[in-house]
Amino acid sequence: MDPQKRAALIGRIKTSLSRQLRYYLDLCTRCGLCYDTCHVYYGIPKKEYSPVGRAEIVRRIYKKYFRPSGWLFPFWGDSKEITETTIEELSDAAFSCTGCRRCMMYCPFAIDTPVVLSIAKAMLIEYGAAPEELTILADGAVEKGESIAEFKEGYRHVIGDLEKEVATRINASSPEGLIPLEKKGAEILFVGLAGAHSIVNPAIIFNKAKVQWTLSWFEAVNFGAFLGDPIKTQRIAQRIINEAIELGVKEVVIVECGTAYRIPKYLLGPLPFKVSSIIEVIHRYIQNGNIKIKEKAIQEAVTYHDPCQLGRNGGIYEQPREILQLLCTDYREMSPNRAYNWCCGGGGGLVALDNEQFRIQSGKAKRDQITATGARIVVSACENCIFQLETIKTGYGLDIEVKSLTELVAEHLV
Amino acid sequence: MWDKIYYLIMIPMVYIAFATFIGGLIIKFIIVFRSKKLTGSYAIYPKSKYPLAAAIGESVIVPTAFKKQKLFWLMIIAFHIAFFLLFIGHLELIREFKILQIIPHDVFLGGGIVGIVLIVSVLYFLFRRFKSPWREISVPEDYVLLILLFLTFIFGSHMSLASRYGIAGFDISVEAYRQYLSSLFTTSPAISQGILASPHYVLVVLHIFFANLFLMVFPFSKMIHSVFIFIAQFIKRK
Repeated sequence: MDPQKRAALIGRIKTSLSRQLRYYLDLCTRCGLCYDTCHVYYGIPKKEYSPVGRAEIVRRIYKKYFRPSGWLFPFWGDSKEITETTIEELSDAAFSCTGCRRCMMYCPFAIDTPVVLSIAKAMLIEYGAAPEELTILADGAVEKGESIAEFKEGYRHVIGDLEKEVATRINASSPEGLIPLEKKGAEILFVGLAGAHSIVNPAIIFNKAKVQWTLSWFEAVNFGAFLGDPIKTQRIAQRIINEAIELGVKEVVIVECGTAYRIPKYLLGPLPFKVSSIIEVIHRYIQNGNIKIKEKAIQEAVTYHDPCQLGRNGGIYEQPREILQLLCTDYREMSPNRAYNWCCGGGGGLVALDNEQFRIQSGKAKRDQITATGARIVVSACENCIFQLETIKTGYGLDIEVKSLTELVAEHLV
Repeated sequence: MWDKIYYLIMIPMVYIAFATFIGGLIIKFIIVFRSKKLTGSYAIYPKSKYPLAAAIGESVIVPTAFKKQKLFWLMIIAFHIAFFLLFIGHLELIREFKILQIIPHDVFLGGGIVGIVLIVSVLYFLFRRFKSPWREISVPEDYVLLILLFLTFIFGSHMSLASRYGIAGFDISVEAYRQYLSSLFTTSPAISQGILASPHYVLVVLHIFFANLFLMVFPFSKMIHSVFIFIAQFIKRK
């Protein structure tokens, strides 16, 4: 490898070394308790897909350049130089991890493997080896934030079509204003995704609940976070923060997207508005009587997949279950569930990459969980999870129906 | 010549080891605590009502290990309790601490059990790494540290057991250790006659030698987990 390139990569590691990262890089005793806790390892039992195996790729490079033993006795910690091969290993490690943090549940030292892998992602960006798909999507999102005025007219037309669909579904006399845009003083700013369903179903719920809401110009998904670029992550999130402040909303409601929820809710520090997931809002509306759902309307066996970023990393466990228990006569839990639930394999932006075969293999744990419940309908509350569950369904030929919770609620409103 | 080597190990090397240990830890803490903090919360849910207590509890009781591998958990707990007692025992080898005699006991405490528990658990940790998948994830540091601990414990344990049960004419008294260790602390180092004149002197030297090596590598190795575990567990709950 070109020495200048290597020096730039070492510099990138240095600037990425947060306090937290330094703990995690020094802490691991390689006790191996995390070894089989990753869904990828479950499906593809290779050391490189175990949490410790992934983190060790980063740790060995760190030791080489940032620990005295790396210069004096490289054999001591099996330190590794940065080479083209290491870059490939880093890429495989970083972009096979969904950032689900299930391994943290079993690590006696609470090592946050996705935080460790953030170094791998930073190095890949520096080297120009970050996944092209994610780079394009992140750049597109940043660009949209900078030139939103150019997008507005086209978007208004799209929303006009969606309003007609909402009007039909709720038997409204006119589609006008069913999906408000740029509504100053609205209580809620709802941030959807690119797909129509991510706007139509919440719009039905908001209209039924008769709340003052407005739709964001932007998509909630943060490809900067998937890419591992903290600057782009911040810029993508900032678009929505600025919009919310400008409109003076009290609450920003995030569509069914785990990462899009976790970033503003927990990772950006204090914000001048409340951040909620659409699931929390639906639950609140049901509890407060703002909306009514057809109780026990679903007779088939239903199970719920906890999206990692909403559940383990976001604390939303009970609300979706309570909604489903109202809706269904036969609700079944996956085992394990909640904090110990297996990741489906679609998070971390992996569904945006060309890796279907890998995702089918890494979805084996989820396949086994679903099959064990005997459920016909698998519900989740994250777009990535829904997409991945569909891949698992097709890949393993499962006789199931995959539904989003918002969609299910919208279909069963009184 | 051997006398000089023994002296170097028993006196200057001890100071070097402690200086490296303390200096290394200070440098490590400066580097770590001067690094920027990540913003936001990196908690895992459900969060505990008492995050600090939960972090300490999880660090000490290690329920994750209990959940996954019961025998490993038992060895971890046994090792760490014994290591704590080892620390207390060594304090009492420097001088008498009345507070440590709340439960009256002979010095060195434990009647030899402490050393045996440490040896057994370290051997378990070592042999565990000979097997897959732990073999694949282990690096030389993992083996070297365990071997270093084993060697330190085996000589230390011999000294403790032989002294207590009068094996092979072991004749080094607690007082002899206290004279030597307190002289180190008062910076007027001297190897007491009781140690120097003993035919078992070489065992003391070997014990001190391996302990010195362990202290010197401590701040630069994974042994730092003994400090950082509490912080990392707290981050998981904050």
